[in-house]
Amino acid sequence: MDLSLTEEQELIVGNVRRFVREEIVPRELNLDPDADELPPDDKAALVDKTRAMGLYGLDIPVEYGGPDIDLVTRTLIAMEMSQHRAGLYAPCYGTFGGAGLAQLFEATEAQKEKYLYPTLRGEKRGFFGLTEPSGGSDPARAIQTRAVRDGGEWIINGGKIFISGADRAQYGLVFARTSPDKGRNGVTCFIVDTDTPGFKVQRVVHTLRSAHYATELTFTDMRVPHANILGAENRGFAIANDRLSRQRIPYAAGCIGVAIKAHEMALEYVPDRETFGAPLSTRQAVQWMLVDNEIDIRQARWLTLDAAHRAQQGLDFRKEAAMAKLVATEAASRVVDRCMQMFGGYGVTKDFPFERWYREMRIRRIGEGPSEVQRHIIARDLLGAGLR
Amino acid sequence: MKVLVPVKRVVDANVKVRVKPDNSGVDLNNVKMAVNPFCEIAIEEAVRLKEAGSASEVIAVSVGAGNCQEQLRTCLALGADRAILVETDVDPQPLGIAKALAALQEKEGAELVIFGKQSIDGDNAQTGQMFAALTGMSQATFASEVKVGDGKLEVTREIDGGLQTLSIKLPAVVTTDLRLNEPRYASLPNIMKAKKKPLDVISPADLGVDLTPTVEVLSVEPPAEREAGIIVETVEELVDKLKNEAKVIS
Repeated sequence: MDLSLTEEQELIVGNVRRFVREEIVPRELNLDPDADELPPDDKAALVDKTRAMGLYGLDIPVEYGGPDIDLVTRTLIAMEMSQHRAGLYAPCYGTFGGAGLAQLFEATEAQKEKYLYPTLRGEKRGFFGLTEPSGGSDPARAIQTRAVRDGGEWIINGGKIFISGADRAQYGLVFARTSPDKGRNGVTCFIVDTDTPGFKVQRVVHTLRSAHYATELTFTDMRVPHANILGAENRGFAIANDRLSRQRIPYAAGCIGVAIKAHEMALEYVPDRETFGAPLSTRQAVQWMLVDNEIDIRQARWLTLDAAHRAQQGLDFRKEAAMAKLVATEAASRVVDRCMQMFGGYGVTKDFPFERWYREMRIRRIGEGPSEVQRHIIARDLLGAGLR
Repeated sequence: MKVLVPVKRVVDANVKVRVKPDNSGVDLNNVKMAVNPFCEIAIEEAVRLKEAGSASEVIAVSVGAGNCQEQLRTCLALGADRAILVETDVDPQPLGIAKALAALQEKEGAELVIFGKQSIDGDNAQTGQMFAALTGMSQATFASEVKVGDGKLEVTREIDGGLQTLSIKLPAVVTTDLRLNEPRYASLPNIMKAKKKPLDVISPADLGVDLTPTVEVLSVEPPAEREAGIIVETVEELVDKLKNEAKVIS
């Protein structure tokens, strides 16, 4: 069993590492500590570079013009791309592009023309509207937004919360209940234009994350054409569920990248920082924090790569993705916390990225399914029929 | 025109190096290694010459341990056509490397050999010049611009207070300065192709050279630590300290 990276992976990862170090970090030093976007000219110049590297649009399938890279390598890249201050929620400030909503690759040709291709060209943005005040991790039960058919249209009433980027989007995926008594088989996914009458961004929801804020949406007698159903009527649950599993792997990888960077910074700092006449690195208390960091990072890294490997092979990866998400978010939270402790007073200043990582990392144990839901998924998989 | 580019494996320029406690050298344990930045500039220049149609083949070569293959693969991904490693367990020094490369040049017959002007670990800035002396090739060091003419090169060098332009006959040796070019990122397609490109491993014995070091390192010391500064209250106090403590004015 060979756990080492291939020469190609080493080179690709090395390239991204250099890009973060030489292109992202120096620019970031001139931005507000909470920034989530680069000035447009800077971003355009960097997109030219990622295109020349052949890495633009990492998660776009090859047949749509994306690079031909397997999921394990993409996961390794994601662990590099987040190694800067804004890295958790704005890895490399979007200069590697992205597929946007992966669900649209399954759309009809007409839907692709209207939504997918403009998104890949960077002309449109979409949001993913699943979570409601009643919950997000259990779409079969939580979705209360109703859609009722009226001829060639559906009338949607209800609302969503914690939806990222809806105020900057031209369209979004909205999950609504189309058959009230059918549970998971009664949910449908609609593509909704944000200029549809009845669509409203009710408010910005302020959270620990000062950038990439969330929004609350309301839908009042919002009429959506039947042709805007993504997939089939009453088959929205699978779309939501697949996204929840798949999204956990890059989500874990982003956390690990931040942990790696924080740990690296601490390793460099403690031999130089003197207290009571000796470097911090000579204190056992500090040494053990570093050891625990190293172990936390390694276990999270292998679990995440294992999940990516299984998904790449086409094997069932639901449990593995849940374990990766659970361990990576909790491990990275501990690592950032310890590094902050080692940096002392400086650790909590905005001169260093720890305080932003610390705030944003707290969200990661809740976003994309909280730790408890991940444990629930794993338990259900372990016990199977024995769960009753 | 065949172009040979010798490259060196060194500590990554971004690593904060520490001297070993016994002062025998720099601690390389768990340290990331990379292509010496000046050598990367040399590879970039060679690849650009090839893209411009001036060069027909770019060959990267390194003298060192087996793990130098990692850096040679990087060079292949950046656009070199093939690579050669002269593998040795001894830590080679400039003269030994220059001799090995001179023996290799006899076989390869490259018309242009581009070196980095120095490596960021040894800082010797000798190998290119020694190689030129051993092979009798013309040389232009510390190049900031290279133009290929008919059977000759025009090389611009940054010197104190200005620029110097040399015209040298081919075959020639050029060593690169920092501002010659900005090395590219290897592209994904080229990274994928790199593995299929040939990388030959030969021994110093194959070239008939002896790499035994001729210079012994006695001690490696970190630079003296900078002392904390002070804030003075008045100009008089400053002048007094400059005169009597720092003794930099009289």
